[in-house]
Amino acid sequence: MNYRALVIGAGIGGMQAALDIADSGYEVFLVEKDPSIGGHMAQLSETFPTLDCSQCILTPRTVEVGQHPNIRLLTLSEVVAVESGARPESEGTLTPALSQGERGGHFRVRILRHPRYVVEEKCTACGDCAKVCPVVVPNEFDRGLAARRAIYIPHPQAVPAVYRLDPNACLGLFPLACGKCGEACERQAIDYDMAPETVEVDVDAIVVATGYELYQEEAVMAYAYMDHPDVMDGLEFERLLSASGPTGGKLVRPSDGKVPKEVVFIQCAGSRNPEHGLPYCSKICCMYTAKHAILYKHRVHDGQVYVFYIDIRAGGKGYEEFVTRAMEEDDTVYIRGRVSKVFPRDGKVVVWGVDTLTERKVEIAADMVVVAAAIVPSARSRRLAEVLGIGVDEFGFYTASDAEMTPVESGVPGVFLAGAGLGPQDIPETVAQASGAAAKVLVFFEAEKAKRRKDTDRQD
Amino acid sequence: MSRIGVFICHCGINIASTVDVERVAEEVGQHPEVVYATDYKYMCSNPGQQLVKDAIVEQDLDGVVVAACSPLMHEKTFRRTAAAAGLNPYCCEMANIREQCSWVHQREPARATEKAIEVVQTVVERVSRDEELEPFRLPLTKRALVIGGGIAGMEAALDVANAGFPVVLVEREAHLGGKMARLSGTYLNLRAAPDLLERKVEQVLKHPNVEVWTEAQVIGVEGYVGNFEVEVSGKVSGFKLGEPETLKPETMTFGVGAIVVATGWDPYALERLPEYGGGEIPDVVDGLTFEGMLREEGGLRRPSDGRVPREVVFVQCAGSRDPERGVPYCSKVCCMVVAKQAISFKERVPEGQAYVFYIDIRSAGKGYDEYVQRAMEEHDILYLRGKVSKIFRDGDRTLVWGADTLSSRPVEVAADLVVLATPMTPSRQALDLAQTLRVGVDQNGFFSEAHPKLRPVESLTAGVFLAGAAQGPKDIPETVSQASGAAAKCLQLFSQDEMTQEPTVAYVVEELCSGCSVCVEACPYDARAIHPVRGVATVNAALCQNCGACVVACPNKASRIYNWTPEQILAMADVIVGTCRRVR
Repeated sequence: MNYRALVIGAGIGGMQAALDIADSGYEVFLVEKDPSIGGHMAQLSETFPTLDCSQCILTPRTVEVGQHPNIRLLTLSEVVAVESGARPESEGTLTPALSQGERGGHFRVRILRHPRYVVEEKCTACGDCAKVCPVVVPNEFDRGLAARRAIYIPHPQAVPAVYRLDPNACLGLFPLACGKCGEACERQAIDYDMAPETVEVDVDAIVVATGYELYQEEAVMAYAYMDHPDVMDGLEFERLLSASGPTGGKLVRPSDGKVPKEVVFIQCAGSRNPEHGLPYCSKICCMYTAKHAILYKHRVHDGQVYVFYIDIRAGGKGYEEFVTRAMEEDDTVYIRGRVSKVFPRDGKVVVWGVDTLTERKVEIAADMVVVAAAIVPSARSRRLAEVLGIGVDEFGFYTASDAEMTPVESGVPGVFLAGAGLGPQDIPETVAQASGAAAKVLVFFEAEKAKRRKDTDRQD
Repeated sequence: MSRIGVFICHCGINIASTVDVERVAEEVGQHPEVVYATDYKYMCSNPGQQLVKDAIVEQDLDGVVVAACSPLMHEKTFRRTAAAAGLNPYCCEMANIREQCSWVHQREPARATEKAIEVVQTVVERVSRDEELEPFRLPLTKRALVIGGGIAGMEAALDVANAGFPVVLVEREAHLGGKMARLSGTYLNLRAAPDLLERKVEQVLKHPNVEVWTEAQVIGVEGYVGNFEVEVSGKVSGFKLGEPETLKPETMTFGVGAIVVATGWDPYALERLPEYGGGEIPDVVDGLTFEGMLREEGGLRRPSDGRVPREVVFVQCAGSRDPERGVPYCSKVCCMVVAKQAISFKERVPEGQAYVFYIDIRSAGKGYDEYVQRAMEEHDILYLRGKVSKIFRDGDRTLVWGADTLSSRPVEVAADLVVLATPMTPSRQALDLAQTLRVGVDQNGFFSEAHPKLRPVESLTAGVFLAGAAQGPKDIPETVSQASGAAAKCLQLFSQDEMTQEPTVAYVVEELCSGCSVCVEACPYDARAIHPVRGVATVNAALCQNCGACVVACPNKASRIYNWTPEQILAMADVIVGTCRRVR
């Protein structure tokens, strides 16, 4: 009798939980809404405080997840319904492809699989389809800084390494308006008639690891100039720094391709702002901004970085030392104060702020402005919480049954939590917590087994 | 080997923008044993791996060289790929042309290409002499040792025990609970924390799978992952319910498969802060002492004369973030602890005034910033941004001199009590224990994790896991999550029926060995011994880390490493010195 887990979200948190459970000999269904796994970590250039290349440390994990015999990966999928208390003896209407045992689980989960329009088993990721696709749209993975075709692969190291046809960008599927990609595909992997599919799986425990997004309330956090090409959020800047990014790691500003000599970073954009934005602290921005400052200086030796901050929150191993390095070795100017206004002038982006330590107004005519936007929960967290019957706080972050003593337990037996879906947190914390959630799953399986043994004994 | 495939990775632009990868493939393809050589954008991607798999099958390869990044990064990936295509995984080797070539020679692409060709050729020579190997299989003891009975150790122990495995929990003090047991409350559970902890202690003590040792320490650890032999001395509670003091001291040796280090932290010595009157002025106390004062049933009293303090000054970063005189790191929890302590003080002495000197307020955590806001707004706690320069006695008052950097003015407060938020420092037994366990510590004495991002609960020693403040300052929620994470690693290990061990370890050619025992001394991992009967050196494959010290030390060339033989190394060197005869 094999026990199974469902992990929702395949960022670094969900992957870690899935691997820990799968490596302990249990089957895992890993559900991801995007076409590929890795989450936001796959978009990062380097990570603090060691400046490890993010993709380099991540791909061994994504590859392992993709190849793990115990992990069944469902991309472009979302959990739409969960029914708990399914009896062990219940005969399910399992989709044959997913049914791997006759026994029902603690939960019956309905998963909506959006059509990829590309048959995963047939696609070799040769790219012939994208070469003939006439549609050019911004690439989400590069935060719109580069273009992709309507049929595309998010990035070269994507797992699964399979193209996807974006039905919103395609010239038309019903009826078919173009069809060039289908003609180009030698393996005939493109299936324009692919329909959404609902599958049901029985699992015994669930880990929710749906992660975060960046705050988008432009008027509040971007000082109304977020649409200016040289004003960007942290993830866009990561893509600009990244060797696999749209510029191949060359730091140039999007507006005119010139190397920016003066860059302003604005922390707490949207965070710690109960009046106009969000009251909470987004926790990771202080460190990634320090990292951005260091990485910028590595690329532009004669450049100057300014950071506007309220408090520098560098609590973590080697973090304080890292910020000190940004200040001392890379001459980053830290200005304690808020920014009041950002506006374009003569090809520059002017930043008005205040230095609360000297009590003076500051004006910087910058070539580029990077805004550390607040961390918000994934857009679907509230709906998913409803489906699972778990709690969320007023911002949509999941709540643990006791934030201190049971930080990964949702309060619903068998449903566990990990990662930034609980609140802003950095990678090490997420990874440790995801392993923590995996431990609770393993313990829960044992409890379930004991319960069933007892039931069986009673029947005998 | 006679049919070798070579796969050159572009790594996007990481390699290909410096090294002419197509030329490398072409040049290496000239080697008589290389029957297939190609390049690809990302060899580690699924299509890249498929390329390797297909070639192994179609070209009937018996050896594979992947020229890409460091083997630390992807050796596992490609060996798995090779195995999936039916090749012995130990006949697949990596040639590092990224970290050791393209990255360090970016300004000299032509010479980098020449170097890459040579690097790949050396590995071709190595692979051509690789043997097919099988992993070792070793028995596994499915029992965990948890060192430290604070909240971290208890959480880890309970998770492992609840999954059905026996746990030995070793605590140096007479009672479980650690530092949390000394707190008046926590910022998330201001009132309930002591009860919640008490319940946790109960669960541990009553758990049939947990054996608790108190006033105990680990005196020796031998062996390796899956098969540690540990020696513990202290008082064992057996199947408990007895009071610790009635227990007889004992010393015992037993086997465990995994070890969780949860030794927590100890306070920074107040005497190290003479400028703040630390250890000298009775009304200057540290946070943990203040917690004890908050727990007093008779109400809050100051140490010097038992009076209720009205003006209380909290000094944050007292010793932390001070690379010159104190510790360089941030102690992470103090900002929240001080906010909580100031609120607790105001609850007990509503007419009192609390002052907090800070550098930055680091309340990063769910609801934490809001908590500090409430401390300021609802409890009228006065936050002053600045360092305290001096604390000294003036009559029965304690004067605090500091600066308010926001108003650029000096500040003087006549305090009834001063609470110094001193840094968490590693447990005083941490260093000895680290040596006993052969695990690393960082420059501040905290246990080092295997990778700061992706392996936060593992040490670099297989089978030894980390939880809580032993690894670095952290608060209770983070500690509890991490402790469960460490438990997950134990459970993962225990889910196997036996251990497998990489076969690329040292071995001894017994005919050449004189039993001189030079290698025994050279081995840093205690993996070598002289066989009592045969008189030759032996290798404990489970302990061998493949470092090669024994190979260098052996005067008779009797020590070797599988797939790193002298013949292989010489053949590789031949390529470099240009004397390799390529015709066979």
